Amino acid sequence: MSARNRELFALVPVALLLTAGFTAVFAQESSQLDNLSLIYGAYFFAVCLATHIYLRIRLPFADPYLFPLAALLMAFGLVMIYRIDASLARDQANWFVLGLVLFALTIQFLRDYDVLERYRYTIAVVGLLLLLAPRLPGIGQQVNGAYLGVKAGPLAFQPAEFSKICLVVFLASYLREHREVLIVGARRVLGVTLPPLKHFGPMLVVWGASMFMLVFIRDLGSSLMFFAAFLALLYVATGRFSFVAIGMAMFLVGAWFFAATVPHVHDRVDVWLDPYAHPQTSGYQILQSIFAEADGGLFGKGFGQALVTVPGTHAPLLPAAQTDTIYSLIVNELGLFGASAVILIYLLIAARGFKIALLAADGFSKLLATGLTAVFSIQAFVIIGGVTRVIPLTGVTLPFISYGGSSIVANFVLLALLLLVSDRARREIGAGERSGDFALGRA
Amino acid sequence: MDYAPISVALKFGFLVVLYLFLLWIARSALKDLRRTASPAPDATGFHQAPGFAPSPGAADAWLVAERGGGLNAGERFDLIGGLSIGRSSEADVRIDDRYASGVHARIFSRDGHTYVEDMNSTNGTLLNDATLSGEAELIDGDVVRIGDTEFRYEAT
Repeated sequence: MSARNRELFALVPVALLLTAGFTAVFAQESSQLDNLSLIYGAYFFAVCLATHIYLRIRLPFADPYLFPLAALLMAFGLVMIYRIDASLARDQANWFVLGLVLFALTIQFLRDYDVLERYRYTIAVVGLLLLLAPRLPGIGQQVNGAYLGVKAGPLAFQPAEFSKICLVVFLASYLREHREVLIVGARRVLGVTLPPLKHFGPMLVVWGASMFMLVFIRDLGSSLMFFAAFLALLYVATGRFSFVAIGMAMFLVGAWFFAATVPHVHDRVDVWLDPYAHPQTSGYQILQSIFAEADGGLFGKGFGQALVTVPGTHAPLLPAAQTDTIYSLIVNELGLFGASAVILIYLLIAARGFKIALLAADGFSKLLATGLTAVFSIQAFVIIGGVTRVIPLTGVTLPFISYGGSSIVANFVLLALLLLVSDRARREIGAGERSGDFALGRA
Repeated sequence: MDYAPISVALKFGFLVVLYLFLLWIARSALKDLRRTASPAPDATGFHQAPGFAPSPGAADAWLVAERGGGLNAGERFDLIGGLSIGRSSEADVRIDDRYASGVHARIFSRDGHTYVEDMNSTNGTLLNDATLSGEAELIDGDVVRIGDTEFRYEAT
């Protein structure tokens, strides 16, 4: 079975799962089996099929599993959001289609993604400006104490989602060129390999940028996400674990310092350490999220069964259920098994992404694939870790699941870049890769 | 009509299909990984210089990469017919080194002896830690250094 046929085959169960999810939600909410779920399933499959055909023409060698896995996450998101609010789900479906259009456009116009390397400084500046945009007067928006959104007229979006791609492209290109000097110039001091001082500057800049985000954008999650992706890239580029250890130490010192001095960061950490201190106010969201997860049990309460609002009112029982705490809602409705499946999907995407990096022939492709995969997986970790109280809860989205146009569109662009790298890598390895595919076990 | 049994059935059906699907992907991803484990001998596959497969035995003299230059330490270059070392793609041994010139140095043989010659490089070539001016004969164990890249000359 060729790569593209496997992709097509994988899309069938995804569409079936979406249909089953909608059927269950309808059965629960309006006590009827509606053929509307079949129509939604058919729409979903048609959209995926169109994308699949486009991939078949444009990127015949690209990784076959990434798109179905992303579609599966979308299916989870659509069902869960529909179950919270049908009109939000319609928006989300529109975002899904728009995301796929941008996905196709990225593949169309960035076939030769090496141009990204040529414009790396422009891209870096764009990325930083995007990060700063929410603090600009007039267009910036403050949400829950963090400056995340930009609103210019009818257009509102979260620039951090796009700037993560810009910064990964820049770092991949920068480290591709400078990795050698970082390794060769390294000196051992007291048994620790230190990077050469003169090439240490850019690392300090990235560290400074993430600290800056912590303080001025007040976005703990993105700050962690960017810095961790940077360390992952640095490790892959140089193979020196000591650089990563130094980076982590710097981040921890910085984060600790700001947690002690900046009130917003301080509050977040306090709520994380002791949510019971103010159960009705600041600790409410995380506590409700944990209770919802515990309530789910092994197999969950079933689709449409979770209480999102206090019965009879519109007061939220699970605050921000369609964005921040959507993972808790999934745990509540599908239990430990459903939630583990979601984490498994992210793990599989990460595995495929790193596989692409392994196969890629040149340094930039390798680092690009690594960086994109890392930033994507870490984003999933930051928000899942947040709602399960592993790390302080912050407002990043759960990729492909959470409600939100910026997140969906940006992640589809990220996916398009990964597939572009994958297509070139596998094309170079040759037809052997294609014809050597194993026979599919249909048992 | 009571839809509770249908809801429960749908929930478990959903989970079963979901896990079978993930199992299928994980299985094929695993097979895929085993099959293509070879292209990257080290963790990242960065240090492979394509097109320079070592072929010992064909000549009686080799240049052995010691460190740096994006080469694998211990990689051997056969010296039959001589070769050039540099940063550009014109060089026979392409090294990834900031301090290397496009075609930095060349190694050639004359009357059964092997010589190294600096090709007017910007930063110079070191032979056994001494700056090389023009050309010099190589003897077994000599170390040629270009920027941060070191080669050892081996003859039998």
